[in-house]
Amino acid sequence: MSARPRLGIFKMASCDGCQLQLVGCEDELLAVAGALDIAFFAVATSKKDDGGRYDLALVEGSVSNEEQLAHLLDIRARSDFLVTIGACATSGGIQALRNWRDVDEMIRVVYATPSYIDTLATSTPIADHVPVDFELRGCPIDKGQLVELITAFLVGRRPAIRDESVCMECKRAGATCVLVAKGDPCLGPITHAGCGAICPRFGRGCYGCFGPKERAAASALAAHLASGGVPAEALVRKLRGFTAWAPAFRDASDALDEG
Amino acid sequence: MQFLERAALDALFDALRAEGRAVLGPTVVDGAIRLAPIDGAQDLPAGWTDAQGPGHYRLRRGGDATFDGYVVGPDSLKQVFFPSKETLYRAERRADGKLGFSPVLPDPGASAVLGVRACDLAAARIQRAALEGGPYAEPRHRARREAALIVAVNCTRPGALCFCASTETGPRVTEGADLVLTERPDGFLVEAPTQAGRAVLARLDTRPAAADEVAWVDDAMREAAANMGREVDLDGLPEQLFGRLDHARWKIVAERCLACGNCTSVCPTCFCSTSEHPSSIDGDEASRVRLWDSCFTEEHAYIHGGGFRPRTEDRYRQWLTHKVGAWVAQFGTSGCVGCGRCIAWCPVGIDLTEEIAALRQGEGIAALPAPPAHACATDEDLVPRAATVTRVERESDDVVTLHVAVDEGLQGVLPGRFCQVSLPGIGEVPISISGGDGALLEHTIRAVGRATDALCALSPGDAVGIRGPYGRAWPLEALAGRPVVVVAGGIGLAPLRGALRSMIARPDEFPEVHLCYGARSPADVLYAKELLGWMEVPTMHLHLTVDHASPAWLGHVGVVTRLLDARSVPAGASAMICGPEIMMRFTVERLAQLGVPDERTWVTMERNMQCATGFCGRCQYGPYFVCKDGPVFSFDQIRFLFGEEGY
Repeated sequence: MSARPRLGIFKMASCDGCQLQLVGCEDELLAVAGALDIAFFAVATSKKDDGGRYDLALVEGSVSNEEQLAHLLDIRARSDFLVTIGACATSGGIQALRNWRDVDEMIRVVYATPSYIDTLATSTPIADHVPVDFELRGCPIDKGQLVELITAFLVGRRPAIRDESVCMECKRAGATCVLVAKGDPCLGPITHAGCGAICPRFGRGCYGCFGPKERAAASALAAHLASGGVPAEALVRKLRGFTAWAPAFRDASDALDEG
Repeated sequence: MQFLERAALDALFDALRAEGRAVLGPTVVDGAIRLAPIDGAQDLPAGWTDAQGPGHYRLRRGGDATFDGYVVGPDSLKQVFFPSKETLYRAERRADGKLGFSPVLPDPGASAVLGVRACDLAAARIQRAALEGGPYAEPRHRARREAALIVAVNCTRPGALCFCASTETGPRVTEGADLVLTERPDGFLVEAPTQAGRAVLARLDTRPAAADEVAWVDDAMREAAANMGREVDLDGLPEQLFGRLDHARWKIVAERCLACGNCTSVCPTCFCSTSEHPSSIDGDEASRVRLWDSCFTEEHAYIHGGGFRPRTEDRYRQWLTHKVGAWVAQFGTSGCVGCGRCIAWCPVGIDLTEEIAALRQGEGIAALPAPPAHACATDEDLVPRAATVTRVERESDDVVTLHVAVDEGLQGVLPGRFCQVSLPGIGEVPISISGGDGALLEHTIRAVGRATDALCALSPGDAVGIRGPYGRAWPLEALAGRPVVVVAGGIGLAPLRGALRSMIARPDEFPEVHLCYGARSPADVLYAKELLGWMEVPTMHLHLTVDHASPAWLGHVGVVTRLLDARSVPAGASAMICGPEIMMRFTVERLAQLGVPDERTWVTMERNMQCATGFCGRCQYGPYFVCKDGPVFSFDQIRFLFGEEGY
């Protein structure tokens, strides 16, 4: 590659935590900066978006207002490979909890001057609006996965980012299953891996921040937990966390809610 | 048999350490009995009791300070001999552009594993068959296994989920142990079946066991066998399972199954793995890392264009029909040792014994063909050999043929076999041999993913890695003397080209060869120049068709089966087929109508092969591994499963 590929890191509705994971890649950051032209990264540099093309665009955050949607369409049009990073971008984030509520009513209750607030009724993932080339899950994303994604992009391999359950990582790590050995309601069996089973390794149940894995049988797990005495309301809360709007979690929580 | 006082148990640790052995044993970690490094008897779970049920495991303290209150936790010898993640080799791009591959082989120090149960020793034997049983042996597995001394225990109190009496793998230790301990209230009866075990025993202060103590062990084992918490009937099970692939139970269990992979992870015999190719950001340094995988993941059965087992019921059925079904044909034993782990550690408590009992209720029996025997096992370190691309021929928009020279040369380059072609940091892919000999290989590759894209973009002088060749070649000797019909679809001509060249070169043995070849369009016809040459060969008869014709195309249009008629399929012919599975299915049917029997119809199968040696389990297909038992099969070998959705 003669010129270094241009990297842009953009945000929509989000907390910046996923972008900060890149800043936190201390050991690898220099290598990344050497291999890529970091053309736009508002959190870490003062460079403005020059309106040019991006070989790789990382997009954090969900679509929460009209301005973000217009910005997103612009980024997509100027990017060859667009990767969404984090729970907000890939599922709508914690702010998607409003999708179950009346937004106008909440604005009236929460804000002193509701007319300042310009928002869509829903918080939705990037892939609902533009084609996405790859998704990096998590709240926040995992540093190792981010470096793997960037390396794979540069080298030309499929990123080793496995769409499997957290249990696979948990068992490889030799952690004791908190669901079976402690009865802790754990979403690991239905949650996308990538975190290294960090919660179960520290003795607590997974709360699904990487969102559902493929074929996530959320209703089947919920039915089992319910038979063990976990109340339906608790299950709904469990499924409606950082990735509540992801279809597999949304549908299962809706069924419990109605049920 | 000797007797060891309870108070002298620490002396066993001293004896093992005196031999320089690191000791692993059962100990309480995070609320479960785990297998971990331990220092002495005080680390053992004396006085702990486990309560196990489907999806349930709890430890509590109580009762006597003995070791008979608990059975197996989630760990087994699998963790010790076959770690969940390990680097297989490192690769570097050297200054001269060449690739250097170096194996990563473990140098395990001497170890001792304490408290191993009969079920887990049976499991270790079964895993050994998969990883060392031939035609290849995994040297990493062997090194770790050979470094370990096994101090086993006879189970006197089986757990609620135990059923080793049904699987005939316990409760008495009969294999694989260097020392066997049976616990009594006052101490341990010790047997030492091996020289290594006797050497340890000689360091201990023991006395010969009395006759009544020896008899007590026999009684205790009989009693334990009678007190299993579960039972299962394995008799005739493989035939029943494969005869009931559409049993209603598969869907019922799939409604509960989370496809999470916990069962396979804790199973002491499950050996499936996957691999990754991490690299430095510049790609100059790379490695291949193997990690535990599960047939419950989507990726396990994924090849370009889709997965073979999209539904959860496909995956559960794959697991069970392998574990207690096809396993018997492959390894002469069931893959289940009755340890109950898959029941305990299933998050939703699916009970294998219950599922088997339900599946036994039903109709349907299907005999499983026996896979070929692999007599010897040669070491296979899974490390590519450095090779150089010498020539690149563009066959079509997305297909190229690479000519590759392997520095060290290769043995056994035969049409129908395949090599693992690799680019460090990008991946390894199985590619059939489309021509060549020991010095030079030809691989025809279609760009369908990142690795094949990168391979198709190579230029002469570029370096690649080659492992192999692997698998079974086209049986040209068996085909000689009869007319041969070769049916190829698309890129499927590649593995057949070498065979066609051989048959052309031997006209006396192959007096009449018909090639029926279908391509997507005229521009996708492979080896066009060579095909034109074959038209001049008296023994060769070419029949071409395309799915979509261009204006200049004057030949056939339509699917390849339409080329098959009495003219292209002479009486008494044998057949060789390669193409998409759906094409092969219709071809086999048509050939059968034209009088070609299954046993003279040869096909080559494609599955998700990663290791190519039978270790990774990803190409398991009924009683076969496509990589080592195939990829070439006679159709009568695979008819019983061919085209079955989910396999």
